[in-house]
Amino acid sequence: MPTLVRKTLGEYRRSVIGWLIGISAFLSLYLSIYPSIRSNPEFYQQAALSKYPGPLKDLMGGLADIASGSGYLQTVVYQLLVPLLLIMCAMTLGTRAIAVPEEQGTLELTMTLPIDRRRLVLDRWAAFALSLLAVALVTLILVLALAAVGDLKVPAGNIVAAHAGLFLIAFFFGTLALTLGAATGKRAFALAVGGGYAVAGYVIETLGKSVDAISWLRWVSPFHYYLDGRPVFQGWPVGDYLVILGATAVLAMTAVLAFERRDVGV
Amino acid sequence: MTAVVETEGLTKFYGRRKGLEDLTLQIQPGEVFGYLGPNGAGKTTTIRLLLDVIRPTSGRATVFGADTRDTAVRGRIGYPPGELALEGRERAHDFLTFMADVRGGVSRGRIDELAERLDADLSIRMGQLSKGNRQKVGLIQAFMHEPELLILDEPTSGLDPLVQHEFLAMVREVRTAGRTVLMSSHVLAEVENVADRVGIVRAGRLVAVEDVAALRERAVRHVEFHFDAPVPKEAFEDLLGVRDVTVEGASLRCTIDGRPDALIKAAAKFTVVHMVSSEPDLEEIFLTYYSEEAPRAHAGA
Repeated sequence: MPTLVRKTLGEYRRSVIGWLIGISAFLSLYLSIYPSIRSNPEFYQQAALSKYPGPLKDLMGGLADIASGSGYLQTVVYQLLVPLLLIMCAMTLGTRAIAVPEEQGTLELTMTLPIDRRRLVLDRWAAFALSLLAVALVTLILVLALAAVGDLKVPAGNIVAAHAGLFLIAFFFGTLALTLGAATGKRAFALAVGGGYAVAGYVIETLGKSVDAISWLRWVSPFHYYLDGRPVFQGWPVGDYLVILGATAVLAMTAVLAFERRDVGV
Repeated sequence: MTAVVETEGLTKFYGRRKGLEDLTLQIQPGEVFGYLGPNGAGKTTTIRLLLDVIRPTSGRATVFGADTRDTAVRGRIGYPPGELALEGRERAHDFLTFMADVRGGVSRGRIDELAERLDADLSIRMGQLSKGNRQKVGLIQAFMHEPELLILDEPTSGLDPLVQHEFLAMVREVRTAGRTVLMSSHVLAEVENVADRVGIVRAGRLVAVEDVAALRERAVRHVEFHFDAPVPKEAFEDLLGVRDVTVEGASLRCTIDGRPDALIKAAAKFTVVHMVSSEPDLEEIFLTYYSEEAPRAHAGA
């Protein structure tokens, strides 16, 4: 493994462990209460629908069939909250690749090493990807285990497919933050623009289903390629996932090219 | 002989703000080049251009005959930043090992040897290093791979006097070994003992390149003599290079440009009780160069 990748993984380690603990706690809490929901499905379905009327319901992903294993898993894990957490984790790690060390002034010394600038960005990106992958894999195992224990009756293959999408959407936004940071060197800018795109993208995809005025915009939302295929119910939306992956690759390439031609730390 | 550092019309603007303008300079192998100027004059800009951290607006720079964009060039350079930022929970020793690995490894024990020499504690986490220790880490990573070119940016600011002494000895060893040093400073005293030539940069422009000996000769000094009896002012007037003469009873104050020879000979006719000569003030050397800037500016060996 390249030295810089190894070094960057070391820098990320504590943060990765922190996010893992947080996301795992969230998953354990929510998936462990499923049995009580299953035992009283009408009540909880009704409660969910009355708690989130109208457009709020759409924002929560429709809340259809929340008392079924698949519906519950989609609503509490794969719809909004866990993607939100994992995207935050990814964007934090993404900005720490270039923008944060540049603002701290620690990047300058790294740049005086005989490391090619492209190599520097790609190594940092690879370490970010590996760290995020570690979080995704551990949480996947946890969801599979909790789904089995709670008897959610969701095929394991569908959980893997949904989790892969979860990883990809976070990978996309983390790479976006990394790219914005590599292009500008500004952490706050990267987080604001990346976060803004994530929120707008989510709203457009979920509300766009019932609001015609914005539904044509759904194709620019990364969430469209994650949520529209309903992987928890239908398995791998391979084409959609490839779109996210392709967009991520384009972003990473942009990061390399932008960083290649810029003054650092000015 | 190929120059180690060669720049031609090197210019850097940060937006509209001028960082460096039209720098043409050559540093020869084995030379210790002092790069002098007040803060904000363009010293750090020059160094960061040579290290390819920033890119020139126009002009070009080569190091060891290769464009600064060539990654391999940086393998032959050692550089401790002026303001070294170090963060994180990593221990200093691990960080230095990482730097050494990227540089293709350094000889065993080299890091510890340097740490001992500078009295640096490398078991401390990077984010918790004191300013002095941080500087030492910066020096160790710059010297450990025995680079052919050392680029030092205000190297002694923040070092305590003992370390400073050790550091200057290390620079002299590098010079003895025939390697090249570019050392920036805003204090003449810091470079004059180690540098062969000095370049003076002011407001983004190189205003002069001089041998250190020549520079010292041009330096302005304030001198005071105290005699055992009152002296006549006339005895010190119209001496070569002496001006601003004031005599008050048995004491004499004046300013000398360059050699003190004429003044010493004149003073020797009386009984000197006490003499004070201030270190040449760099600010005044700047002013000297500023006033006659263009004609004296020449670069290259």
